[in-house]
Amino acid sequence: MTHPLSLTINGESYTLLVEPYCSLLDMLRDELQLTGTKKGCDEGDCGACTVLMNGKTVTSCMVLALDARDKEITTVEGLRQGNTLHPVQAAFVQYGGVQCGFCTPGLIMSGVGLLLENPRPTEEEVRFAIGGNLCRCTGYAKVVQAILKAAETMQAQAS
Amino acid sequence: MPDSKVLGQNYPRVDAADKVSGRSQYASDVYLPGMLMCKVLQSPKPHARILHIDTSRAQHLPGVRAVITGRDVPDARFGNGAVKDKRLFALDKVRYIGEPVAAVAAVDEITALEALDLIDVTYEDLPAVTDPIAALRPDAPLVHEDLPFYEGYKPNMQGNICTVLDADRGDVDAAFAQADHIFADTFHSQGINQGYLEAMACVANVDPSGRINVWTSTQAPYQIRATLAEVIARPMSRIRIIPMELGGGFGAKLRLCVEAYPVLLSLHTGKPVKLIATREETFTLSGFRLPTIVYLKTGVRSDGTIVAREAISIFDMGAHLGAGVQSGVSHTLGPYNIPNYRMRSYAVYTNKIWAGSYRASGVADVTFAVESHTDIIARRLGLDPWEFRKLNAFNEGDLALQGGKIPRNGLHETMDAVKQHLGWPRTAKAGTGVGLAMCQWRSGSGPSTASISLLEDGTVSLLTGSVDISGTDTVFAQIAAETLGMDMSDVVIARRDTDLAPFTGPSGGSRIIYSQGKAVQMAATDARDKLMALAAAHLDVQPGMLTCANGRVFVTETPERGYTLGQLARMSLTSAAGPIMGTASLSAMPFAPIFSTQAAEVAVDQETGKVRVVRFVQAQDVGVAINPMAVEGQIDGGAVQGIGRAITEEVVIKDGKILNPSLTTYLMPMAVDVPSIENILVQVPTDDGPFGARAVAEPPGFGPPAAIANAIEDAVGVRIKELPLSAEKILQALHGELPASTELDHDLLQQLRGANGPG
Repeated sequence: MTHPLSLTINGESYTLLVEPYCSLLDMLRDELQLTGTKKGCDEGDCGACTVLMNGKTVTSCMVLALDARDKEITTVEGLRQGNTLHPVQAAFVQYGGVQCGFCTPGLIMSGVGLLLENPRPTEEEVRFAIGGNLCRCTGYAKVVQAILKAAETMQAQAS
Repeated sequence: MPDSKVLGQNYPRVDAADKVSGRSQYASDVYLPGMLMCKVLQSPKPHARILHIDTSRAQHLPGVRAVITGRDVPDARFGNGAVKDKRLFALDKVRYIGEPVAAVAAVDEITALEALDLIDVTYEDLPAVTDPIAALRPDAPLVHEDLPFYEGYKPNMQGNICTVLDADRGDVDAAFAQADHIFADTFHSQGINQGYLEAMACVANVDPSGRINVWTSTQAPYQIRATLAEVIARPMSRIRIIPMELGGGFGAKLRLCVEAYPVLLSLHTGKPVKLIATREETFTLSGFRLPTIVYLKTGVRSDGTIVAREAISIFDMGAHLGAGVQSGVSHTLGPYNIPNYRMRSYAVYTNKIWAGSYRASGVADVTFAVESHTDIIARRLGLDPWEFRKLNAFNEGDLALQGGKIPRNGLHETMDAVKQHLGWPRTAKAGTGVGLAMCQWRSGSGPSTASISLLEDGTVSLLTGSVDISGTDTVFAQIAAETLGMDMSDVVIARRDTDLAPFTGPSGGSRIIYSQGKAVQMAATDARDKLMALAAAHLDVQPGMLTCANGRVFVTETPERGYTLGQLARMSLTSAAGPIMGTASLSAMPFAPIFSTQAAEVAVDQETGKVRVVRFVQAQDVGVAINPMAVEGQIDGGAVQGIGRAITEEVVIKDGKILNPSLTTYLMPMAVDVPSIENILVQVPTDDGPFGARAVAEPPGFGPPAAIANAIEDAVGVRIKELPLSAEKILQALHGELPASTELDHDLLQQLRGANGPG
């Protein structure tokens, strides 16, 4: 039996009916076709489904949709401001942090989540922050570099 | 490289903005109206006769639209390799845990899963053989009793042996007799999953006209089309494969695995049908690498020259013949000039999931053996491991095991680069050590096509059938832009499917830039020649007097005389030859092996046996780095995959059952587990590759297991010959406990030496 649910996704309010067993990930993808958030394992291991819930990173496959009631969710689709990429997105493009791209939305959300909490991370802190995101293509070096460069850009923009 | 604005530049991937925005479409992102969901029922038994399948309870479950078994589909066999030993569904018996038995289409995934539980299959257990050595015994249960009747059968296949390869050169026994030292070691590799993040996914939709549309995650759209045509008994022209963005494959997505099930169910229901594999199913619905055993015997003179090599390898193929034997065994010499050798290689059926492809299948296993063995010899002879390798390394003109002579290459330069970078020989701190490994790959080739169209405004559209892996589209755009003297932003990569783009080889085996990139260069050259001919006619000069650069074609001596590409494009519309397009087609590229040298520095915790890779250096000859950032990204990833293979990754299979089919228990490296790889790009151009570029992808993953094993011996004096190099094995060795013997039985070895194999 479905239950009503209201929440905010990427700044827009939604009210919908979901099954009690439906994960936040399946709701985003199957109900709202926000397919930028990826399903790599559905077990909380790979991090491809990482989104922000009230500003904190969560693996959306491990969150029941009904537990996101009245929460603010940000997915990878919500990062761009108009046609301008978020600095983390832009750095992934410029520094080669993207290869096959399947883990990329999750890695970017982990990077964005980190910089919200810690605007000047060390390399070790970046590696720790993306420690729940598997990537099989890049070997992580360019991903780490991209997040560090994004931190610099955001610092420069803020000052 | 000439001062190019395009070549050698770190252009971001042409698809990067879409990917970072979550807008790239992968197969699982395809949603069609009225779409059904498909699930596959898999065998719970490693080996059993199917006595009866009753689907009636499943058929009657509300929401179920179709249930199919092997009785409902054309009786066709197909193969992953040379032998057609596979069916879409098990018919008479199941040969491994996970073998498809039936498939369901239902209104949603939960209903489809429920329906699987309602399919009643009656099995009669058969004795199973899951160990390849046991499978070689004359009295072993047969995985395929009907092997002699299969298409592709050869007389030297017998019992469970499905491939025998041999190669001989010189007088190997005489050379061993004259050698001053003889060394023999046996190495075992482990089961390895490719670990692509995007599980297999596919949507099939059959049009009322009978056209079969397949949106899928594949490296090989044309090969999928061909196999699909065979198993569903339809002409290839009925089938349109739309390769979606590829979320990693590394070889796993080179062959038909899941596509046929949604296609058959769409044919049955007339509706679109989608299948998305679970993570567990990436271990059970698609093959991965199974363990390999490699015995190496080497004769060496006192001065360190290698004079003879014997290599005997056993490749576990699981229930169906797959990749790895040919490529693996052809690398058992290592990158060394060894005049006398005897190679014997066997592929063996067992009751396990079939061996799939993974980043030059078999070569990583063989390289672990060869480069561990090389290090053992050097250390036992008191020779410096780098010097010993250098002494024996291929030189230009030496005979290659894969046939032909070794052409010009950067092998020695990669060795020198690593030596200099590390300051070799290094004295490491206590508990740390440094190890080397050399990697080689014969390089990829095969049919390649490309076409390029000049649009009316002078920009171009480039069409190839190659699925982009690792940024190949971006490099294609660079090759086209360089050839046509235009900006990267004026080249668009056309969306592709098998209707639009002509046949081309798969995206795998490090063949894309070297072969497919060559076709792009040839197509762009063809278009440029036509542009020059058109301009020459209008300027009343010879084409040879013209230059194509900076978006124009102009007289070299008087650059103000010329036309922009946009002007020429419009002029071509009314010219005798018509609109300008360049095309190219090639079947194979010359042999251009690639080499790299790698070094690992490790720290071994002597309390726990845990190994940590502190530094990892690799120098690879890439010919010409058309996009250095893309090349580095690719070899970074390969090396980190190799580090996983070395230390933590192992698919554990007991009695045919996979015990760890999840990312919680199959441990791939995370960002905190690995250092940033230190890359050195050596650039010794090929004669034939586009602008001298070489293949790149495969070698980085080969060396880490041996480099790390060698570093472990350097650090703490223990030698592990069985992957992975787990803390448990190292601790056991540190405590002086003998590991389980990895040696092959003497009589078995003697039998395997004979060209006819055992029995």
